[in-house]
Amino acid sequence: MKYDYYDLIVVGTGFASTFFLKKYLEKNKATKRILVLDRGQFFPHAERLKVKQGEPSDFSHMEEPWEDAIINENKAKRWPFTLGFGGCSNCWWGCTPRFMPSDFKMNTLFGVEKDWPLDYDALDAYYYEAEELMSISGPEDTPFPRKGKYPLPPHTFTAVDKILNQTYGNKYISQPSARASRPTKGRNACFAKSTCDVCPVDAKFTVENSQMRIYENEQIELVFGAQVFSLETAGNQIKKVLYVKDGKDFEITGEVIVLGANPIFNSNILLNAGDTNRFTGKGFGEQLGMQVLIYLNNMKNTGGSTWVNANGYMLYDGEHRKDYAACLIETNNAPYYIRLERGKWLNMASFRMLFEDLPLDENFIKPSANKLIPRVSFTKRSDYTMKGIENMKKKLPGILSCLPVEQLKYLDPFPNEGHIIGGTRMGRSASDSVVDKNMIHHQYRNLFILGAGSFTTFSASNPTLTLSALSLYSADHSF
Amino acid sequence: MKRRRFFILAGLSTGLLILPPALYISAPPLRKFAVRLIYKELNYLKLEPNGVEKYVDDFFNSSINNMLVNLKWKTFYYLRVSPTQSTQVYDLIKYYLLSTDFFIYKTDETRMINYLGLYNPYKSPIPNPYSFQIYPPKKESK
Ligand SMILES: Cc1cc2nc3c(=O)[nH]c(=O)nc-3n(C[C@H](O)[C@H](O)[C@H](O)COP(=O)(O)OP(=O)(O)OC[C@H]3O[C@@H](n4cnc5c(N)ncnc54)[C@H](O)[C@@H]3O)c2cc1C
Repeated sequence: MKYDYYDLIVVGTGFASTFFLKKYLEKNKATKRILVLDRGQFFPHAERLKVKQGEPSDFSHMEEPWEDAIINENKAKRWPFTLGFGGCSNCWWGCTPRFMPSDFKMNTLFGVEKDWPLDYDALDAYYYEAEELMSISGPEDTPFPRKGKYPLPPHTFTAVDKILNQTYGNKYISQPSARASRPTKGRNACFAKSTCDVCPVDAKFTVENSQMRIYENEQIELVFGAQVFSLETAGNQIKKVLYVKDGKDFEITGEVIVLGANPIFNSNILLNAGDTNRFTGKGFGEQLGMQVLIYLNNMKNTGGSTWVNANGYMLYDGEHRKDYAACLIETNNAPYYIRLERGKWLNMASFRMLFEDLPLDENFIKPSANKLIPRVSFTKRSDYTMKGIENMKKKLPGILSCLPVEQLKYLDPFPNEGHIIGGTRMGRSASDSVVDKNMIHHQYRNLFILGAGSFTTFSASNPTLTLSALSLYSADHSF
Repeated sequence: MKRRRFFILAGLSTGLLILPPALYISAPPLRKFAVRLIYKELNYLKLEPNGVEKYVDDFFNSSINNMLVNLKWKTFYYLRVSPTQSTQVYDLIKYYLLSTDFFIYKTDETRMINYLGLYNPYKSPIPNPYSFQIYPPKKESK
């Protein structure tokens, strides 16, 4: 460490921390001492690609399996994440729809859970900014309010997408995505390799290829291999960040502390620090995803992009959300779903159905005997979500009546979505939440807790664009 | 997702071929039943013969030995088990087609089908049979 005191200490280098730092650096003209601690290392894209291609890489040992980083009590449920520089930007798939305005007002509109303490309009400018920073490809007409073009044009539609778009207009769109449809700053155009986690042509936005140049800023001292496990409090202030490096315990003092670990580790750090907020660690979970295979008669589903191609909103918004979950349709043209009957090989579409879930108290993070390893207890899906699945099965045949459907096959829900949410929910006061709308802890006013842990309700949409916009919003309103 | 080892999708979460345990096969003589199954199911296509055998070898070499399952393959063949009845047979045929140039040439049945190497999206020249790389958008007429 260069200093024994920092103006800002940030934990993690994923989306949440990076977008927060982007705005913080923009707003702070004075020279600051900024320390960034990441538990992992820098594992460059080129080396990740070698590993994927079966070639040797000196970096391969740097991958810390998520299974070793937590105690997962429910083995049927999985919580994959990538640790190290850039966090899950190294493995995400780049699906970046905005939330719908209704997602922020679940109580007012549907009598479900709580409203967020901020609404879509408050986030709108930050959505644009995040979309610009990630060079999102997307269509002009969207179901959520948005003016003008995305930074890059949309990916091409398949034959199936075209019919659904003609039938449902802006309720069926080319998916807004951080997979570049054209070459852009530091990235190539998507080649439809269908391996988006480590994109072979580096078309997907990652912190590494972002060109945001945050971690090159000379005010920032970035320390790898520093695993934060707790905070030292003094009254209503956080004084120190406690971490382990090379097997030894360390502590460092900071004026403002920012947790951007991920919802599981953010909760663990807070609970280890003795946070007594009754919501900390609670209401943890993620959306439920399941696949529907759509067998088509006399129709090839060709012409699309890599794997996830479009989004359907036909089962998303409406009065039904008083009783059951919104469902976002992600249209897939994965290579692995082909048919073998003669002449019908490509007569297949498939939908990944994403259902929102509710922040239930039964699902929680708690510390274990090992301060570094949180316990994840996920036991329950809400009835709200399960009813959403039943409704979807009733409605889908009608929705697809514009297509020559031979047969629908519903597969079992996936064990994970990769969309870890909750544990430090956002609200108006400590009586209903952990953080306020700027993601500052209600009690510890020099502590920010970023990321999807702060979502008041889950939404059916992929979380990362929204959590990145929230980081920009938070830094903009706090400094 | 890592859809890598994260998304459990047709056993292909890593993007590399991970075979379901029931496909393990060791004794080379028994592999001929897998070869025959491919010919039987795709009898209307012209398959380059060396390629089919090479594929079956690569397919089974990519997993560990399991004698019991070998015997199952013999059964699949003699009981005329079809891809719709068995996911193992479905996978065998599916990965054969994905490992060839069949989709790259737009499923042209009249051409000889050539084996390109065991399907691996990181190595296949055009891994997604549906994609715009094979079916580019038509230019809008003005
Ligand atoms: C396979 C996969 C695919 C996905 N696809 C999509 C998608 O298409 N669209 C979408 O919206 N979302 C997607 N997601 C989710 C998305 O990746 C996450 O929402 C996003 O990465 C969260 O950002 P974050 O910065 O909060 O956390 P992360 O990206 O997880 O970053 C956390 C950072 O904190 C560091 N860290 C963790 N613990 C500690 C500690 N104790 N001390 C110090 N540092 C620590 C990590 O090393 C890392 O740098 C996907 C996730 C996965 C796993």
